[in-house]
Amino acid sequence: MSLELKNLSILKQGSTIFDPVNLVIKPGEITTIMGPSGCGKSTLLSAVSGNLDKIFSLKGSIRLSGQDMADLPMEKRNIGILFQDDLLFPHMDIGSNLAFAIKEKTSRAQRKTIIDNALKTAGLKGFEKRDPSSLSGGQKARISLLRSLLAKPSALLLDEPFSKLDQTLKAKIRRFVFSQIKKMNIPALLVTHDPMDCPEGGMILNLNKEKG
Amino acid sequence: MSGQAKGRIFPVVVISFFCVTILAGLFGTLLPSLNYLPVIGYTRISLSAWFDFFSYPGIQASFLVTVFSGITASVGVVSLAFLFITFSYGTALWKFFEKILSPVLSIPHAAFAVGFGFLIAPSGWFIRMVSPALTGFTIPPDWIILNDPAGVSLTIALVIKEFPFLIMVTMGALGQLDIKKTLLVGRALGYSKEQIWLKILIPRLYPHLRLSIFAVIAYSLSVVDMAIILGPSSPSSLSVLILKWFNDPDVSFKLLAAAGSLFLFVIVLLSILCVYFMERAVGVFLRPWITNGNRRCFLSPLKPIIFFMGCGTLFFTAVSSVILVIWSLTWQWRFPDFLPTTWTLTFWAKGLMSSFDPVMTTLFTGVASAFIGLLLAIGCLEHEVAAGKTKTRNYTGYLHYFLYLPLLVPQITFMAGIQFFLVIMKLDGYWISLMVSHLLFVLPYMFIALSATYLAFYERVTDQAMLLKRSYIIVLFRVKLPMLIKPILFSFAIGFSVSVAQYIPTMLVGAGRFSTITTEVVSIASGSDRRAIAVYALIQQFLPMVMYAFAIILPKILYYNRKGMQV
Amino acid sequence: MKRFLLIFSGVLVLAIFSQAVAKDWSEIEMQAKGQTVYFNAWGGSQTINEYIQWAARQVQKKYNVRVIHVKVSDISDVVSRILVEKAADKKTNGSVDLMWINGENFKAMKENKLLYGPFSQKLPYYQLVDLENKKTLLYDFTTPVDNMESPWGMAQLVFSYDSKQVKKHPKNMLDLLAFARKNPGRFTYPSIPGFHGTTFIKQVLYELIHDPEVLNQTVVPCDFEKNTQPLWDFLDALHPFLWRKAKVFPTSASQMVSLLNDNEIFISFSFNPNSVSNAIKNGELPDTIRTYIHTKGTIGNAHFVGIPFNSSARQGAMVFANFLLSPEAQARKADPTIWGDPTVLDTQKLVGRDKVLFDAVPKGIATLTPKELGQGLPEPHVSWVQALEKKWLEIYSK
Repeated sequence: MSLELKNLSILKQGSTIFDPVNLVIKPGEITTIMGPSGCGKSTLLSAVSGNLDKIFSLKGSIRLSGQDMADLPMEKRNIGILFQDDLLFPHMDIGSNLAFAIKEKTSRAQRKTIIDNALKTAGLKGFEKRDPSSLSGGQKARISLLRSLLAKPSALLLDEPFSKLDQTLKAKIRRFVFSQIKKMNIPALLVTHDPMDCPEGGMILNLNKEKG
Repeated sequence: MSGQAKGRIFPVVVISFFCVTILAGLFGTLLPSLNYLPVIGYTRISLSAWFDFFSYPGIQASFLVTVFSGITASVGVVSLAFLFITFSYGTALWKFFEKILSPVLSIPHAAFAVGFGFLIAPSGWFIRMVSPALTGFTIPPDWIILNDPAGVSLTIALVIKEFPFLIMVTMGALGQLDIKKTLLVGRALGYSKEQIWLKILIPRLYPHLRLSIFAVIAYSLSVVDMAIILGPSSPSSLSVLILKWFNDPDVSFKLLAAAGSLFLFVIVLLSILCVYFMERAVGVFLRPWITNGNRRCFLSPLKPIIFFMGCGTLFFTAVSSVILVIWSLTWQWRFPDFLPTTWTLTFWAKGLMSSFDPVMTTLFTGVASAFIGLLLAIGCLEHEVAAGKTKTRNYTGYLHYFLYLPLLVPQITFMAGIQFFLVIMKLDGYWISLMVSHLLFVLPYMFIALSATYLAFYERVTDQAMLLKRSYIIVLFRVKLPMLIKPILFSFAIGFSVSVAQYIPTMLVGAGRFSTITTEVVSIASGSDRRAIAVYALIQQFLPMVMYAFAIILPKILYYNRKGMQV
Repeated sequence: MKRFLLIFSGVLVLAIFSQAVAKDWSEIEMQAKGQTVYFNAWGGSQTINEYIQWAARQVQKKYNVRVIHVKVSDISDVVSRILVEKAADKKTNGSVDLMWINGENFKAMKENKLLYGPFSQKLPYYQLVDLENKKTLLYDFTTPVDNMESPWGMAQLVFSYDSKQVKKHPKNMLDLLAFARKNPGRFTYPSIPGFHGTTFIKQVLYELIHDPEVLNQTVVPCDFEKNTQPLWDFLDALHPFLWRKAKVFPTSASQMVSLLNDNEIFISFSFNPNSVSNAIKNGELPDTIRTYIHTKGTIGNAHFVGIPFNSSARQGAMVFANFLLSPEAQARKADPTIWGDPTVLDTQKLVGRDKVLFDAVPKGIATLTPKELGQGLPEPHVSWVQALEKKWLEIYSK
């Protein structure tokens, strides 16, 4: 169930944008990638998630649970993403936003139970009928995570997920996100430029550009 | 600080203008429909015109044909547009469409209909291509393709012509949705791109397109010029029938025409109401489908068909123009020759010379109405922006309801009424009146084209500029408008083409004093010489194309060394 | 001696009268100088448009009157506009100064007092008009003209056919039916209501009705069924063999020209005996097209120009209308290489140079001689039009 990156490098017009990356992330572990802006952190994430822009090309391999992701399109990889924007669908209520993520064929009652439980874990019980735009920043961030996790991904990518939250909220949300990942027992890859975002005891990788 | 955002006068003026003209027009049609037309001796109000209307021979068939072709065309073009975006957004085909849209949109409806009719007729180009080689025909077969009684050829032509318009409006609205990120989120959740479009993006897109879809419905139900050329003749669709009544030598038929045109308006209103309620119903029924978690897309096999159909619209539009070019250079062209047997330039020579004055009139009127339309549109939009900043009442918001009025009420229904009032006020026959009557139709399209992009402008830039310059006018003209030059010029080109295409307003308001290229085209099209018709139709088509080219080239020249303006 | 005095005084009165008329006319010419005349006329034919431009140039040169051709696709639009002006009480400076009209429109305009007149008797060249032989110049669709419109040209229903496809052309309606049976889908007529389509069925009725005299009088409703039954029987028999099996009808006579050119149909018809020759010269039709009429004759009528009640350039309009009646203008109009529209003048009355002009008019390649054309049959009473159109719609517009 691990996420493995082997000699992964990304090339733009023939030259690599960072040194080859070698990583093994075990389930429940969160690895952080850090580096100055423009070093290619987000590009690395997009390579792993499967929507690398056409101007780039890939070298090396990405494996999830032993399976090579190379030929799989993004929607088949079962890798979730959490962005800094919550990207909740504004025309659907919270409950529908969450239901959208559920993969298994479920009855209405089953779905309702799943959603209720999810909301409870986030401390947002009873929020199913709420309009997303009526929620606070922290609430939206939690719903966003819940939605990603309800899809039962095999791995989770986090693209600077806390940068839009204020300081006091950041700590709270961080704790919530990391505990959920541990609970789901899936490997996670976090990209950020804020050293405070790194989880305790997790590996940190600095992305460097190849010299010359 | 005053409690009102500045620029309130713009939406107020525009809304009043629309309301007064439309209401005057409708009133001018209501009275004759109730048998009140003193000038020809009818002074007693009664419903006899309505009785005559409902008992007119063939009226049921006419009604059915109108509703069938109008609704089918509308449903068809909307479905095609939605499916087309779903399957082609982001692909090379989509980018190609973005580039090719302007010239395609500029082709006037009647010109397209003439070309299209010649393509599909049994004596037309397609049959000629394979005759007599594959078909053995030396004389045209007696097939009913064109003008078929069920209105199928008209319906197809309507879909082909309305498709680019819907795609254009959609392109404007897409900028307001965060498409890239939505696709990412959806795909990360395991949904394919097509499913994300169908379940998430299109439902979010629909409210932005709602009014334009209503306009498409109104047009499909009340179209006249395309119906005359391609639609059924016995009985013809309702709009054509109404026109025949207006023009009947027996002037008492004008009462019948008034009743008929009001009935047509009612049909349009009911259809729009139906669609509005269907939208609500679909919203309710579709909710479980959207959230049922089902990741299989059953529509994927349709992809090649939709691509084909989307390209098909371009193909037919292009070929219709090509056929006009060939006819304009023809001396003699008989069946089953694939190309004319003898060519000539005489019709171009004659056409260019005699169309000089009408073209000048068209240019002046078009440029003036587009320019004033631009002033009004920008004034209204600036007011909306200002109202948003100061959180005061946004009058431009009300404008959205009235904006579509000229597009939703069939032209026949209210223009005759307006003519009467203009004559009473001695305003008919003046160029200003003509230009203002064009403005009535130019403004809605310009607004549709401009508003989405204009309102999405990153106001931080102007805020920053205001801190530096402290003058609203200077910032508007030196910072904001130049940055928006592309959408502004594009909107100008659209307004210009709408003015070029106007026939009924020019005819009624111009009182015969003004000939535009379009009145020339309609009058020559009532004759039989396809060669002359082709020349005039091509000249008519050429004018908007020039304006679109100008809209694309000017920014490139002005900002050739500014990469940030090239996007 | 008494007789001599009588004749002398008669001649004197005549001389004084014609002097008065001439003085009237020179006054009109004076007033017309510098006026602008908006001439509203159908603009669907480039040949006709070019003729009107020529006439406008002449009138500018000779009389300093500026004529502007306002091209219309349907003259009823103009009638509507004048109606609106009357309703709005616009008594002067009307938007139309002269218009090209005929029968059905004339009736509506005369009845609703939309015309200025009587005026055509004031036009000097009106004396040359052939009122004796061309009765339809006095009764336009059986409405008395009463000098409220000035004649411009003659029209007669003539059939045209492609001699390459049709070896022996029909000589009457029954022949036409037989032709249609042998060549299904190669003949049609324009949709009804419409001037040309209605005239076709009027022609059928003429040929098949038991007593043609009733056509000169108002329709008698109780006899209508009986009188028109042969017409509907004929059409019932004809329709299954028509172009498109009568499910589609051409929208205008103009469209039929294209159909003939494309060979979609082999037989067509029009109202100008010269139009085919003119079309051949223009390349619109191949040179294998010829014309014919039915042996018993075909319906003929005339077209006119009229002056609306509220024109403020009526002197200029009259000067132009007079010019259109001049031998020079009429001869040029009758030339099939220019337009080919038959003249309203009595060519017997012409002398000298004027007569030469007419003798020089070439005969169109597809035109019948005047002898072959014969006298046009008179139009039926105008009440028949509405009755026939209504019944046709009831039966065939399902």
